[in-house]
Amino acid sequence: MEKPRLDRRGFLKGAAVAGGATIAVEAPALAQTTPAQPKAPGPSAAQMAAETEHPGEGEHLTTEKTGSDFMVDVCKTLNIDFMAACPGSTFRGFQESFINYGKNTKPEWLTCMHEEVSVGMAHGYAKVAGKPMAAMVHGTVGTQHAAMAIYNAWCDRVPIIMFTASAGPVEDRRPGIEWFHSVQDGAATVRDFTKWDDYPWSLQSFAESTVRAYQLATAQPQAPVLITADGKLQEMELSKAANAQLSIPKLNHPTQASADPDALKDLAKMLVAAENPVIFADRYARSQKGMDDLVKLAEALQAPVIDQQNRMNMPTTHYLCQSSRGGPLLAQSDFVLSLEPQDIYGTLNKMTDQLERKTGSKIKKTTKVASIGTHDLMVKANYQDFQRYNATDLQITADPEASMPWLIEAVLREVGDRKSAFDARGEKMRAAYKNFANNARKAGALQWDSSPIGGARLFAELWEVVKNEDWAFVTPNAYSGNWQHKLWPMEKHYQYIGSSGGSGVGYEPVGALGAALAHKQAGGRLPIAVIGDGNFNMAPHTMWTAAHHSIPYLAIIQNNRAYHQEVMHIQRMANRHNRGVESGVIGTTMTDPNIDYARLAEGYGAVGIGPITDPKDLNAAFKKGVAAVKAGQPVLIDVVMQPRG
Amino acid sequence: MKSHILLLAAAILAGPAFAQDAPKGDAAKGEKLFMADGCWQCHGVGGNGAALTGPKLSQTALPFEAFLHQLRRPAAEMAPYEAAIVPDSAAADIYAFLKSRPASPDLKDLPLLQGMGVK
Ligand code: HEC
Repeated sequence: MEKPRLDRRGFLKGAAVAGGATIAVEAPALAQTTPAQPKAPGPSAAQMAAETEHPGEGEHLTTEKTGSDFMVDVCKTLNIDFMAACPGSTFRGFQESFINYGKNTKPEWLTCMHEEVSVGMAHGYAKVAGKPMAAMVHGTVGTQHAAMAIYNAWCDRVPIIMFTASAGPVEDRRPGIEWFHSVQDGAATVRDFTKWDDYPWSLQSFAESTVRAYQLATAQPQAPVLITADGKLQEMELSKAANAQLSIPKLNHPTQASADPDALKDLAKMLVAAENPVIFADRYARSQKGMDDLVKLAEALQAPVIDQQNRMNMPTTHYLCQSSRGGPLLAQSDFVLSLEPQDIYGTLNKMTDQLERKTGSKIKKTTKVASIGTHDLMVKANYQDFQRYNATDLQITADPEASMPWLIEAVLREVGDRKSAFDARGEKMRAAYKNFANNARKAGALQWDSSPIGGARLFAELWEVVKNEDWAFVTPNAYSGNWQHKLWPMEKHYQYIGSSGGSGVGYEPVGALGAALAHKQAGGRLPIAVIGDGNFNMAPHTMWTAAHHSIPYLAIIQNNRAYHQEVMHIQRMANRHNRGVESGVIGTTMTDPNIDYARLAEGYGAVGIGPITDPKDLNAAFKKGVAAVKAGQPVLIDVVMQPRG
Repeated sequence: MKSHILLLAAAILAGPAFAQDAPKGDAAKGEKLFMADGCWQCHGVGGNGAALTGPKLSQTALPFEAFLHQLRRPAAEMAPYEAAIVPDSAAADIYAFLKSRPASPDLKDLPLLQGMGVK
């Protein structure tokens, strides 16, 4: 690259030839106070002014080390593999340090096309990898873009290490854009749904706050954290002497809070005494061990488990996995244990969506309720994600996964002569379980030949093609019918990662991208996403990020050509108001023109297949798609589907 | 669902309003109305149901009175359709359409579905 001084000489030479027009372009700020001199030979006043402002020979213009290099040193101690970002000038120093000084490894920089993708992919990634990755968002505008994805991760209790930036103190800000992107309190926009944030004013403070942020993010209840990297700190020169004075605290991975042993003993007594206990597992399992332990508890009691499917909690192949019988089991229960619940009230009560909202309990008045969870350790006032208050008979504030081995032990100690009653209960569960798959298949037959294509057909055709692969779902699939939970043998924790958390539309493509990245790291897995078209349209460019960074996954678009949930809502309002019953599709559907998702994917560099309208074409499409994913490519298959599967 | 039907049956016996004969519907018109009135949104295009949103309606076994009653006074979550927006005659057309729907294939003829996943 040419040196700045050479540039200056060149600039003056060019100006002498081109005259005033060049000046107006090159130095607009000066042109306001210094009228351009038409056709004047030689340098203008503005040029002269610019000339005299050039730094003297003594002033040094480059440096070998800046604060942002140290910031990278800090991040490297956290063992983070990826940093996702849509570029933004407030963190230019930080980014340059990552990719050059940090050699773009650990973390590796990932290019996203919206801050919602940077944060959302970190959300999906953490649920598969079992550890956080990082996201960096531009000062002010980037944080605003990222907000919904942060909220989703907050509601879903998932850790993300986030950085934003600000241009530094007023006397160092260039006029204009640097002011728009500067903020006194950058985290304020998202503080309601982050666990912790800080704006460190020194490099030492940056080190301590970043390590603290990581620890807080990964302690249950987990959640996103946000550190603001000040622009001046990033770009200031860091002398050897100053660098030597800085220290980075050692990262300790906190152990999770286990339950009070006395409370677990009480709980074990209640569970053993109950005639019809039911165990609900919400955001319970973070690992395979969590799943295995839940099986042990269920077997010790021969008690049914309802997996609420916000994590992979209970193997669908186990006879005590009775998720499809939640209603009847609750109605006859005398004891309910809820593991890491987000909404006990909603689990135990119903409310109709009619003009007069009627509530009703799903349990008997005498049914006792207990919970183990960390929900109450992280409740804030403004956003209402904490759900309606529900009193319990025993509330244990602790991490249920960490507490589970102790609960199992306490239960086993109490079982005694209840063993034969438990065995009889187990037999009933086995008998009920035998019907589940057959009932699901019968329901699946109903829409078998239909076009638009039904969910059961989609999942059956998919199973045929992937059954010998190490598959894993990276999206929640309720809208396409949840057939994987009804009919697929889901036994591994990584095979399913739950849903968005806050129901912010757009999670599916971005969470899928991050989860697919974690599966790629794990090696040899086939990530499958079933993404609603409304969801996909929030971030179609995830296909480009996937193509660019070689993140393979199979993205099936459940194309019902609508924001279908909203179609139903508008229909409901039109019915309720006795008018416009035929116009519920206005403002909620995506037809005329139909969107060509396969071409969109190809435009972004991924493999695009479809639209598939005839169910008979699914097999060939899936075969082609899976082959391409196994060859390392992201693939999109557009399937025109029933509104709900 | 069974309990809904029992309730409906009780209502039919109790109320003279329900003691009328099913009007003769026009299935072709009914198909159009099934789409225009948004029934497909929850019950699926073709009326074969979706687990999350609405049960199967094609080849409905409900008597017309019970069918109509569900539109006017839904058992639980379904949005109500008053006569002002779906008159009895339109309901009869939709009913005729649903009655005329072909049967879904038999599970025993669907090896792919039988083979899917958990045994
Ligand atoms: C917003 C979703 C929705 C829409 C739109 C809707 N339904 Fe329903 N329907 C349901 C649900 C849910 C049920 C189950 C009972 C309940 O919740 O009321 C149901 C039940 C029924 C039943 C009873 C089935 C049985 O076997 O017991 C009939 C009949 C029915 N719907 C007809 C219709 C018709 C005809 C239309 C259009 C004019 C329609 N529905 C539109 C959601 C809907």
